[in-house]
Amino acid sequence: MAEATEKYQQTGPKVRVNQKEELVYTWPYLVSIEAIMAIAMILALSLMATFVNAPLLELANPEKTPNPAKAPWYFLGLQELLLHMHPALAGVIVPTAALILLAMIPYIDRDPRGTGIWFSTRKGLPITIFSAVYTWIWEIVLILIDEFWVTTPAGTDTVLKGIEPHITYFLDKTFPFMTQPGWPGWSWVGKILLPAALMVTIPWVLAVIVKRRWKANTRELMIALFTFYFASFILLTIVGTAFRGHSMQLMWPWEVTAPH
Amino acid sequence: MGLWAKFKNTTLYKSIYRNEYPDTPRNQVLVILNSLVLHLHPVKVPRRAVRVSYTWGLGGLSLLMFLILTVTGVWLMFYYVPAVPDAYLSMRALETDVIFGQFTRNLHRWAAHGMVLAVWLHMVRVFYTGAYKPPRDFNWVIGVILFTVTVLLSFTGYLLPWDQLAYWAIAVGSEMAGSTPVIGREARMALLGGHTIGQATLVRWYTLHVLLLPLACIALMAMHFWRVRKDGGISTPIPYEEDEAEARAEG
Ligand code: HEM
Repeated sequence: MAEATEKYQQTGPKVRVNQKEELVYTWPYLVSIEAIMAIAMILALSLMATFVNAPLLELANPEKTPNPAKAPWYFLGLQELLLHMHPALAGVIVPTAALILLAMIPYIDRDPRGTGIWFSTRKGLPITIFSAVYTWIWEIVLILIDEFWVTTPAGTDTVLKGIEPHITYFLDKTFPFMTQPGWPGWSWVGKILLPAALMVTIPWVLAVIVKRRWKANTRELMIALFTFYFASFILLTIVGTAFRGHSMQLMWPWEVTAPH
Repeated sequence: MGLWAKFKNTTLYKSIYRNEYPDTPRNQVLVILNSLVLHLHPVKVPRRAVRVSYTWGLGGLSLLMFLILTVTGVWLMFYYVPAVPDAYLSMRALETDVIFGQFTRNLHRWAAHGMVLAVWLHMVRVFYTGAYKPPRDFNWVIGVILFTVTVLLSFTGYLLPWDQLAYWAIAVGSEMAGSTPVIGREARMALLGGHTIGQATLVRWYTLHVLLLPLACIALMAMHFWRVRKDGGISTPIPYEEDEAEARAEG
């Protein structure tokens, strides 16, 4: 057995553990698992394809905008962000930054210890759960404020809905010179500055908490930050898919009707 | 001698299969070495690496979805016409006039969603098991690119039926791309092949969807699988000393 290892694993790292790695034949130990999974998957997909038809609506019509118009599900998290910030931030900068940061993970966390173990350490799972709950609370609260903070300033008939209009209204009143022609106005504070600051600060604070509370090492910090990304993706995708209906208003899933 | 046993004695059979059925150690080695598909694997694997609860088979399922999509996609290409409005008409015809047309279209659709999901979950499993750590660091980067290509494959395919759903999903998506700082207008132009979503967009996305992106995906998967082997096979546990000591103390 030892001979087989050396012969077929000439390159790559030797697994360094106190017990010797037990090897099994690929045929049948791995091939059988692969075959069973493949057959089960093909069966499940065939069943689904038999009973659930792929949608085909009427011919594309550029004149007729459906309400709501939604991207495919894996982009609905980004479309949800779009409701709360500048489109360049939500549609381009955030996804680009997310991909680059994801790719950087192994270059920040270079300690091979913790490989091959779910959550790596005893603290890994508690940190994951904490980070997910922390992220969800922040995001749910922010989404709710942005949806239900509606006021009409006294003496006007302007309706301010959400965080950004309130900030812009307040700053316009306080520093009126910015609203003159040639000035950029104040909407960038609520559309760019605040969301960008939140998207940096929320994971930052998470990292600080995890460091203090759990004395986290680099791997555990990565777990906290990745969980922030992972939990955000799930929450925003669910909200964008199931809780956004007509005019992208927040509503219960059973109130969300098909686009018309 | 049965017919099958006779057949197994022919030169033809022996020219295809070089070894007997793999039920002896020797043939269990040979079957892996002799088969193009199986030789992607090592002859032996660590017992701990083949636990379903470790990988959930998600990388393999991603590959399976890709293969299903290739087969059903070629079939769809037989009938699909990338033009406005013929694209939509060919989808309608596929559903009503072509035997198994609806089934194949459904399979392509659900496998496409399934692939995005499987690839994403595979990434999640690789992360939480710490399998991205050196020496697998660069394979993780290849993985992030594979993830991007997978999403682009799905997104370019979304436009092709040319129905209201397709058109407006792409309208939303390209609107986002149009807001890129500095090069927004150019990015949108490049994506749409014009100022609006039209025939040029369809041809462009069709070409990306059936040719460029699948080729990119195949090339990247080849690198990905090659590196899984070169990085020492599927990862196996490397504990921290403290945890190891605790585990030993607990017996
Ligand atoms: C088309 C997409 C992909 C395919 C077909 C694919 C396929 C595979 C397969 C078959 C394996 C063997 C182990 C397993 O099944 O878990 C694997 C391992 C691996 N994949 Fe992927 N993968 C894809 C995307 C990704 C992505 C998006 C990432 C990460 C961002 C990634 C990172 C890795 C790493 C680091 C390993 C080594 C894991 C280990 O040794 O435990 N892959 N991949």
